[in-house]
Amino acid sequence: MKLALILLMAGLAQAALAQDEADYPALPRAQYRSGQAVLDAFAPVSTQTRNSILELNVDGSPVALGAVVDTNGLALTKASELGAGKLTCWLATGQEVEAQLLAVDDEDDVALVRVKAEGLKPIQWATDQVVEGQWVITPCLADTPLAVGIVSTLPHRIKPQLRAFIGVEFNQFATRPIIERVSKGFGAEKAGIKPGDVVVAVDGNLVTNSDQVRDILREFRDGQSVRMRFQREEKEFDESIQLMAPRPDQEQYELYADEDEDNLSGDVSLRSGGFDQAIEHDTVLEPWQCGGPLVNLDGKVVGLNIARASRVATYALPASLARQILTKLKAKAEEP
Amino acid sequence: MVKHHTVTLMCVLQLLRGGPARCLLAFALSASAWLAHAQPAAPVFARPAVPIPALVNLKDLPAAFSKPAPTSLTDLRQIQERVAALVSQVSPAVVAVELGHSSGSGVVISSDGLVLTAGHVGIWAGHPVKFTFPNGKTARGNTVGLDEDADTGLMRITDPGPWPHVGVGELKHARLGDWALALGNPGGFDAKRSLVVRLGRIIRLMPGVVQTDCTIYPGDSGGPLFDMYGRVIGIHTAIASSTTENFHVPITEFFDTWNDLTAPLSPPPKPPPVRPQAYCGLSVVDDAVGCRLSKIEKNSPASKANLREGDHVLKVDGRRIEVSASFERWLAESEPGDTLQLEIKRGSKNLQVQIKLQTQPRGTK
Repeated sequence: MKLALILLMAGLAQAALAQDEADYPALPRAQYRSGQAVLDAFAPVSTQTRNSILELNVDGSPVALGAVVDTNGLALTKASELGAGKLTCWLATGQEVEAQLLAVDDEDDVALVRVKAEGLKPIQWATDQVVEGQWVITPCLADTPLAVGIVSTLPHRIKPQLRAFIGVEFNQFATRPIIERVSKGFGAEKAGIKPGDVVVAVDGNLVTNSDQVRDILREFRDGQSVRMRFQREEKEFDESIQLMAPRPDQEQYELYADEDEDNLSGDVSLRSGGFDQAIEHDTVLEPWQCGGPLVNLDGKVVGLNIARASRVATYALPASLARQILTKLKAKAEEP
Repeated sequence: MVKHHTVTLMCVLQLLRGGPARCLLAFALSASAWLAHAQPAAPVFARPAVPIPALVNLKDLPAAFSKPAPTSLTDLRQIQERVAALVSQVSPAVVAVELGHSSGSGVVISSDGLVLTAGHVGIWAGHPVKFTFPNGKTARGNTVGLDEDADTGLMRITDPGPWPHVGVGELKHARLGDWALALGNPGGFDAKRSLVVRLGRIIRLMPGVVQTDCTIYPGDSGGPLFDMYGRVIGIHTAIASSTTENFHVPITEFFDTWNDLTAPLSPPPKPPPVRPQAYCGLSVVDDAVGCRLSKIEKNSPASKANLREGDHVLKVDGRRIEVSASFERWLAESEPGDTLQLEIKRGSKNLQVQIKLQTQPRGTK
């Protein structure tokens, strides 16, 4: 199905419009919703929160923001942006200090790091639920925020952004999910699945057709494994099969990788889907500006910015979820 | 997929009630025909009157809204309070629209279900539309009309109302910097997520288009842009690459194109005229001599002109023909009724032949 919207991309229409645009006065850029004049009004919120922010660098390049959660220098950030290399961070005091990665929660892409520094102030979690239309502020080390927006939707589950596959094709004419082809290099082949095998259950759910199989698999991310039951001739057997996102040299890549082909969204986060719960807000951020706190007008943290996902959406893990993850990560970090 | 199942389900019901003959009939009906079938008497709607902008007290807005930019937390709280209240006030009237071939958004502006949308979401009058409200409730209806140039579109919910709706506004008093709220279904309707709300300001006011920094995305098309009184002042139409280049059809365009939008059963645009194909009734091939007639059809202009298989065409209307493609092209450029002057080589003789082209008889290509 076609999603309607006219895209004025580098064509005649845009040229004509640009010509038109030049003929009409525009609002001064500082007065745009995220222009400097508007951001200035949020200065009290920044003053209140800037000592709770880390600006994380890997080998000197900025990769993410972080939210300081206690006075001992523990902080949460976005895991998948950290990569390999030397982890340091800038503080509101102007210091650059070393940071240490303690633990990672792969489910929601959160990392726990520790920095050794004085004068850090833990964030204050908000306790009330967000409402649609309320201001949300992404503070940084500066005395005005990076950007502001409003809550676009209440927290909801976010599907994985890139489809991951077990690597089978189903017989299109059969009503039952009969495997017709097993693709090379994917999980199904590695698990010994053969053409003719029939899928009986996926992740504990009985399935009777291939659409049901696809719907359930859609909820799994690259690298996760799914328990599946198959029938081969008279026998049934269980296998744990790993899902994999197609690499650029595989045929499936062309089909699913680049749905936003006009690049309407600017830069989006490497990992921008597959979160248990997220607040969707309309703040325009760069991928490296995620990982830090999202706060309300009182300077209280309503969420942890976890991904820039599209032209219209930035996701933040709600405070309640972020706090649960923090508890899990602390326990994990203390394991020997 | 869903529609297919629905038709099948109908068939089972029909089988119980009306026997196998009716069951087959039900199978033969397409999904859209089924929709018509299930609505026994389509209600007759009067031609809707042009909507009148809702009256508001322009002094009713808190002081923060009249500043070039908010300057304090107090201002920001005033804006927040107003925006959050508007979201719950206007959301129930914003719908996702699906027409089978495309989907987008829309907004209900009357209790009997008149829906504003973008022209490019819809197609010509009478096409069935499925509307989905933010609470997941669906309703049926159809397209009423559209104006391609203005990108205005009108649809109607035909299921009985009353429907949640909002008023329309005007842009006479709009200024650069006015705060605006964009609603819609970017990426398509998603029951888990529901509506998506975005805030921005009017950046430019141009004839026929309003620009804001409310970010919109495919699937938002046809969705409403609200002023801070909760009135529809624009309909999402287009974007360019920058996140501050979001374009909306001004509500005024709907008033201006209202007659076109509501013209009774506005007919679909005429297909471009197909040029009548001339018929000669021969086939040609290339050989060592040139363009040879390989087949002459009976009772065709070719046979009436006494052309024979094996003749070679040397000239048409004085122009030399060297290959069969040139002759075929000449025929394709001609029209029924044209007379062609052919110079033919038959054996050792050269002959002059006149051939009058006809219209294509039925059953020939």
